[in-house]
Amino acid sequence: MTHYSVTVTSLSWLTRNTFEIRFNRPAGFEYRPGQKITFEDGGITRDYTLLGPEHRSELAVCVRHVAGGRFSPKLAAAQPGDRYRIGAAHGYFFFKSTDRRAVFVATGTGIAPFVAFARQGVRNFDLLHGVHTETQLYYADELAAAARRYMPCLGDFPDSPRWPLSFDGRVDGCLAQHLAPGAYDFYLCGRNEMIRDVTAFVDQRFKGGRVFTEAFF
Amino acid sequence: MKIYTQTGDKGKTGLLSGERVFKSHVRIRAYGEADELNAAVGALAATLSGGQDQIKMQLVRVQSDLFQAGAWLSATPGDETLQRLTPLGQEQWRRLEGWIDHFNDQLPELRTFILPGGSPAAAWAHMARTICRRVERVVVELAHTQAGQPLPDNGLADILIYLNRLSDYFFVLARHLNHSAGVSEAAWKG
Ligand SMILES: Cc1cc2nc3c(=O)[nH]c(=O)nc-3n(C[C@H](O)[C@H](O)[C@H](O)COP(=O)(O)OP(=O)(O)OC[C@H]3O[C@@H](n4cnc5c(N)ncnc54)[C@H](O)[C@@H]3O)c2cc1C
Repeated sequence: MTHYSVTVTSLSWLTRNTFEIRFNRPAGFEYRPGQKITFEDGGITRDYTLLGPEHRSELAVCVRHVAGGRFSPKLAAAQPGDRYRIGAAHGYFFFKSTDRRAVFVATGTGIAPFVAFARQGVRNFDLLHGVHTETQLYYADELAAAARRYMPCLGDFPDSPRWPLSFDGRVDGCLAQHLAPGAYDFYLCGRNEMIRDVTAFVDQRFKGGRVFTEAFF
Repeated sequence: MKIYTQTGDKGKTGLLSGERVFKSHVRIRAYGEADELNAAVGALAATLSGGQDQIKMQLVRVQSDLFQAGAWLSATPGDETLQRLTPLGQEQWRRLEGWIDHFNDQLPELRTFILPGGSPAAAWAHMARTICRRVERVVVELAHTQAGQPLPDNGLADILIYLNRLSDYFFVLARHLNHSAGVSEAAWKG
């Protein structure tokens, strides 16, 4: 298997516990939007989805610092110049252009492949992003500009939400309320439980819908 | 990451091309049977001992071909996914033909039907042969459901040729395994 050594170039915090970390792009490293890289560190491996755009000279991922986690705290403490070993980009969570409307559903850092799709030039999609608070709506401006409808689904609903289509509750509730019957391509990324619940909902309500999934944990 | 997704608890699953279908769908049955065949090939390989490395290598090759076929079977025609998959090709069934001819040249000619069995390895080769025929039947069924569809599934014809050859390979392999182990073939007495 091909391996690369990458060097940290910068790290910026998006929220109190989520950061974007960038690396130099090794010669010959290719990827398609939606693919992930695997970090190898002391016998453990962890996947992170590349943010894109794919032609950028750096590689960027958005990482949630999991308190007590084995690897993400290490990445959170990384300094420019630190080196990591990664494998070649892999995975099949690609955007497929069809005549159906695309509905992207993410929880937390599961937004990463949708950032990559938007940077690839994908437009006219509905995007539901399930997070706890508005501050966790990573890349919101960029995504809202690319989406047909940008729908934050908030656990902690503010008195005056910043985004007009903000929803007070979970992504499946938002789908039930905002998605008219029809044929859609659903792209789900993030928590397993969300993927399970939304898939069950699609099976029930959107017969003929296509579902593509990428589970983070 | 958890191995269980719980998205199939109500009897549905997703094709590689994204459609949600019942697990009894002919496409799911086709690649499910191919998976069962692959497992039988693994069981056959596990019965082989040292000195049978050439056959082991052939079986690994077959397992990887079956994976390739399974991936093809799990996406519907016209889907973009298929552009990134390689259908089984002539090179693969020609390779099987080469192996079949090689074994067959060393075997006594068959004058009667033989009962499937013999050494454990040969018995597994017969199991693989019959499962292979079942995969073939389901792929034929799938091909029939595709007939007349606007988008032909061009890979199915090649998979069918491959499966037809593969079951012949398992047949001669079973005979070869019995002969090389000194196990006589049981003729059908009628
Ligand atoms: C295909 C794939 C792509 C992934 N892409 C990303 C990505 O782009 N960004 C990212 O932050 N993570 C991503 N992950 C998760 C990542 O691989 C690690 O699991 C995560 O960073 C935790 O690793 P750890 O060693 O720190 O925690 P561990 O010691 O392994 O603890 C794991 C626990 O951390 C929690 N957890 C894991 N991931 C997250 C998360 N993203 N947000 C909140 N809690 C989490 C879960 O409770 C999990 O049980 C992805 C996982 C997969 C399988």
